[in-house]
Amino acid sequence: MTGRLKTTAQALALACVAGLLALLVWSVVHQQHAPGVGSMAPAFTLRRLGGPGKISLASFRGRPVVLNFWASWCEPCKSEAAVLERDWKSDRSRGVVFLGVDFHDLDSDARRFVSAHGLTFPMLEDGSGNVTQGSYGVSQVPETYVLDRQGRVVAHLRGPITDPAFAGQFRSAIAKAEA
Amino acid sequence: MLRFAAVLVAALAFAAPAAACPHPRTSLNYLEGQVMCPTCHTTLDMSDSPAAQQIEGFISKRIAMCWTAQHIESALVANYGQAILAAPSHRGFDLLAWWLPILGVLAGAVILAFGVWRWSRRKEPDEPDEPDEPTGSGLDEETERRLDDLLARYD
Repeated sequence: MTGRLKTTAQALALACVAGLLALLVWSVVHQQHAPGVGSMAPAFTLRRLGGPGKISLASFRGRPVVLNFWASWCEPCKSEAAVLERDWKSDRSRGVVFLGVDFHDLDSDARRFVSAHGLTFPMLEDGSGNVTQGSYGVSQVPETYVLDRQGRVVAHLRGPITDPAFAGQFRSAIAKAEA
Repeated sequence: MLRFAAVLVAALAFAAPAAACPHPRTSLNYLEGQVMCPTCHTTLDMSDSPAAQQIEGFISKRIAMCWTAQHIESALVANYGQAILAAPSHRGFDLLAWWLPILGVLAGAVILAFGVWRWSRRKEPDEPDEPDEPTGSGLDEETERRLDDLLARYD
């Protein structure tokens, strides 16, 4: 009787250790990383900011996409906003899609930001950060991805596109995505 | 007299919004410990990031509007998701986070108690053997007598 009890206790202890190990392996395997250049951009569907309905990234397949992650509390996002709007206005006629993803932000503040900067390209909200942090590995906004017509990542810019290091890279990435 | 009037006016100014609240007003200090900063993964009181400041501003405004702590937390959850709360809710799957540690401690106590009980039970049968030790040396009487004689010479 005691022998069986001892075996059960040992099995239980082993099961606990195995469970903890499995949890550790799972967390290591599921750590999210930013999709690299050349890889497919993770699919997502998000609610429109301040409007009804949802937008899915897949619905833009066949068109180059500029995916900009921002937040109203982010200072560099303010300086970048005007440049994004200008580029959107000049590139949309060629079929380039600009998508803004507002991240870890209050709806009301985000809508105010969009209105204050006169942004007209589609805006999505990701309050929980599941897409932004989870799928795209964005840690600090602003970050911008440029995707080609097949949905592959052409460029990933970690910082404002107004940064001298990124300005040229951003335009050449759009040209590459359109090709 | 003038000083008394100033104090009275100030007291009324502070008392008026409080009186307008039909329930005890929650505080920013309290909620700062209950709400997470979404970008730095600490509670608001531990963070000075712009995202945390934005949420603190939101909370302060809602407190001034007489919102309850629960109402403010609900609004934040609707905006940021459940992860904005420092502690899991007391509903559904989240209940596990509250009960598992308690169950773990209880299970540990039961295992410990059982182990102690087993250990004390194992010791008991050994005790009666101890008095027999002098005669349980495994030597016959003759050898023991000779051994005692030998030892007596060295005394």
